[in-house]
Amino acid sequence: MNQQTNTAGRSINSAALSPLARLQQALADQLPKLVMAPTFLIIFVCIYGYIGWTFLLSLTKSRILPVWKFVGFEQYEKLFMNDRWMVSLENLVIFSFLFIALCLLIGMVLAVLLDQKIRNEGFIRGIYLYPMAISFIVTGTAWKWLMNPSLGLEKMMHDWGWTSFSFDWLVDPDMVVYTLVIAAVWQSSGFVMALFIAGLRGVDDEMIKAAKLDGASMPTIYRRIILPSLKPVFFSCFVILSHIAIKSFDLVAALTGGGPGYASDLPANFMYAHAFTRGQMGLGAASAMVMLGGVLAILVPYLYSELRGKKHG
Amino acid sequence: MAALTIENAVKNYGQGDILKGINISIESGEFLILVGPSGCGKSTLMNMIAGLETVTSGRILMGDDDVTNVQPKDRDIAMVFQSYALYPNMSVAENIAFGLEIRKVPKHERAQEVERVAKLLQIEHLLDRKPGQLSGGQRQRVAMGRALARRPRLYLFDEPLSNLDAKLRVEMRTEIKKLHQNLGTTIVYVTHDQIEAMTLADRIAVMKDGIVQQFGTPQEIYNDPNNQFVAGFMGSPAMNFIPAKLAGTAAAVTVEVTDANGAVQQLPVPNSAALASQIGNEVVLGLRPEKITEPLPHKEADPMVTHLPMKVLVTEPTGADTMVVSELNGTQVDCRLGPRFDVTPGAAADLMVDMSLAVFFDKATGERIDR
Amino acid sequence: MVEAPMTVTRRAARLGLYAILAAVAFIYLMPVWVMLITSLKDVEEIRSGNLLSLPSSLNFDAWVTAWGSACAGSSCEGISSYFWNSFQIVIPAVIISTLLGALNGYVLSFWRFRGSELMFGLLLVGCFIPLQVILLPMARTLAFFGLANSTPGLVLVHVIVGTGFTTMFFRNFYIGLPQELIKAAKLDGAGFFFIFRRVVLPLSTPIIVVTVIWQFTQIWNDFLLGIVYSGAETQPVTVALNNLVNTSFGGKQYNVDMAAALIAALPTLIVYMVAGKYFVKGLTAGAVKG
Ligand SMILES: Nc1ncnc2c1ncn2[C@@H]1O[C@H](COP(=O)(O)OP(=O)(O)O)[C@@H](O)[C@H]1O
Ligand SMILES: [Mg+2]
Repeated sequence: MNQQTNTAGRSINSAALSPLARLQQALADQLPKLVMAPTFLIIFVCIYGYIGWTFLLSLTKSRILPVWKFVGFEQYEKLFMNDRWMVSLENLVIFSFLFIALCLLIGMVLAVLLDQKIRNEGFIRGIYLYPMAISFIVTGTAWKWLMNPSLGLEKMMHDWGWTSFSFDWLVDPDMVVYTLVIAAVWQSSGFVMALFIAGLRGVDDEMIKAAKLDGASMPTIYRRIILPSLKPVFFSCFVILSHIAIKSFDLVAALTGGGPGYASDLPANFMYAHAFTRGQMGLGAASAMVMLGGVLAILVPYLYSELRGKKHG
Repeated sequence: MAALTIENAVKNYGQGDILKGINISIESGEFLILVGPSGCGKSTLMNMIAGLETVTSGRILMGDDDVTNVQPKDRDIAMVFQSYALYPNMSVAENIAFGLEIRKVPKHERAQEVERVAKLLQIEHLLDRKPGQLSGGQRQRVAMGRALARRPRLYLFDEPLSNLDAKLRVEMRTEIKKLHQNLGTTIVYVTHDQIEAMTLADRIAVMKDGIVQQFGTPQEIYNDPNNQFVAGFMGSPAMNFIPAKLAGTAAAVTVEVTDANGAVQQLPVPNSAALASQIGNEVVLGLRPEKITEPLPHKEADPMVTHLPMKVLVTEPTGADTMVVSELNGTQVDCRLGPRFDVTPGAAADLMVDMSLAVFFDKATGERIDR
Repeated sequence: MVEAPMTVTRRAARLGLYAILAAVAFIYLMPVWVMLITSLKDVEEIRSGNLLSLPSSLNFDAWVTAWGSACAGSSCEGISSYFWNSFQIVIPAVIISTLLGALNGYVLSFWRFRGSELMFGLLLVGCFIPLQVILLPMARTLAFFGLANSTPGLVLVHVIVGTGFTTMFFRNFYIGLPQELIKAAKLDGAGFFFIFRRVVLPLSTPIIVVTVIWQFTQIWNDFLLGIVYSGAETQPVTVALNNLVNTSFGGKQYNVDMAAALIAALPTLIVYMVAGKYFVKGLTAGAVKG
């Protein structure tokens, strides 16, 4: 049979299209962009537009309502003179450092332990990870009860005979920030473990075999070959954990309420309090911009190295 | 009537031209092969023919229709991809019928067409399977079936066999050739395999760096290459390139080579007229391995044939013949000898050089200088 | 492979390993276990016993109170209505943001246009900015459109905040599908939506599950957007729980707090137990990739 006869006479000349068909054609060409239109709006208005708006607000004297009277960087000066803000910053540094370090350490150790051909590995992994599915509000509520100075851990230890045991960090202004660390690490370390396990499973088996034939012991193989090859996982975890730390708001609200006094405030709580409950919109906006600056200081180098790595890799 | 005409087609992704003015035209029913090293722009050109990439400048015509700005779906083209690109969620039959379904062909006609194609390609027993349950060769057949079902004006094959193992590849090559002969379809076929190119093509376009180096029949490409690149790309083992000096007289130009005994010998050239002005220049002599053989009695009288003692470095018997690596003018040369001719590595052998299809290139530019 | 017979030290090491893993598992499980047994005790038992002492009898009073009559702020109707509020927020927000993400990912992977890569980059960065920098303008915008303190307003905010993530999930998944599949469909004559429906969506089941679970837990667990943008009637359960725990009319009822917290945690915990595998995938998507 001859295919050509079948197709002869079919005209596909674009110039011959009717106006209506051409309109349809133009519409079809623009379809992908039309579909993305809501997302354009989100990106340019609701993200970057709003950031600009917040920045402008931070330059004004706005209190309960926006007042478009610009006062330069006065709010930022006020912010860094504000003791509560400085406490929240200091808390953030302590909290993030311990939170990130402990999560990475615990997560990594658990991942390596679970990588030893453990029976029921999936089940155990599930136990370590489930706190991640829970809201920080629930986590805060639970740990608030566990660390209750009179009825919590302290009482349990007393009941068990350790009468000198004392644990009242929740009401101790110097120690309260560490309660945040405990609860947050409980919630998020399993996440790090999951990422590291996924990373470990991706390590080339033949590389490990080669190292074994080279005479390396398992601990050496982990230390010198496997874990170093997980550097990207490490960085991802670092970025995600920093992000969680800087955003932390709900945990403070539920576990300590920022107290005693404002001893356990974090910047996010400061921002919320001033922008929404204390009628200090300008100051709240300024604190939000500082938070953004903090995130970008971590994110930009990370994204930069990621993109560069992609181009070269 | 030309089935496909590509006029001055240029492609630019933003950083320099990937395709630098392609001109190709083929008749209806012809089998065109685009061949060239990886990255030279073959797939890009295919995608432009299919309408999957825009044309930066230039025109593409199918028959008399300018399709440069026509949507892929309106071009009436089918394409077989290197990765086959079968829809994994659909059965083989659904894959084959998909294009017809979109074109609103009635159901019973679709079924008939699937049946016809399946029979043609001997995949009737696979129709209900999903692509994931097929072997590489079977997937390849289904991908071709999908293209055949639509009976388009033009078929595009982008390295369709490169994911198959060697044996299957040869089988499918034959099959594709049979299909083309039986159906008389117009095909553009991309490959980087020069054997595929030689065996399948009516015409070959040899590409490099976004430029068509030569466009012609397989015979033209093989025997009369435009330049050293084309000469070296087509043929296996590749053509020998021997640096040499032209000598002799304007009426009988010769080329000087040094034999195994250190004696300078003068070999005749086929086209003295074109090379007369080059006498005394260093040039590159191109000689295919099958033109250096053991002494063949029936060629003794040929004026283009010379006996030459040559040093044997390595012998590689393949069964059908013996490849010998030898040396000439300080360059290794491949020779193709009959299987029963005895040579010893390290010793000199008396070989026969047939200069009737020798070609000459400029030493600096690699362009042909003997036409 | 033939395993070498276990030596004594090796066996001891394995035993130690399992002991460590079990101890850690105990620590991870303890808080929720304590919540559970506390919620089943009465107030008297809580005062006399300790965290790990078991309740003398199963007493579901605290759960009933938490559900129907506990006081959160000024109203004393338990958290049931807020629990349903959360569903009213979560369901539309998850559906819309997943759909948007799928379409965006489809465009960004297969229908690129000038600037689409930049768009994706901006969207990715948008995923990681602290929400605080958009809270105030968003509040003004919602007020302007009369959506302040309303459920649709909260849904809208969640869609805006979540679309970056859903787009990232889908785009990273689609980019792994062969481009040629879409080319083949284009040559077959299929259009934008047809290819999406017939070729791409049928292959998307795994990523849809991941995205839905991710978005469900994110939105269900949200507190910040809830407390900023919801009204007294439209509060999600997390906000109500926090109010309930911090309301202390006449003595703390820890058992009720714990019951309420467990109720608030239940939907995501169930999702986690049923589809935990996908949840892990959702968490690791994008973070660990070659
Ligand atoms: N979308 C693109 N953007 C930029 N450069 C591209 C794109 N697609 C292909 N190229 C470049 O065009 C050149 C030709 O590619 P291609 O046509 O795929 O080669 P071939 O099929 O001959 O191996 C390559 O150098 C490739 O890097
Ligand atoms: Mg290619």
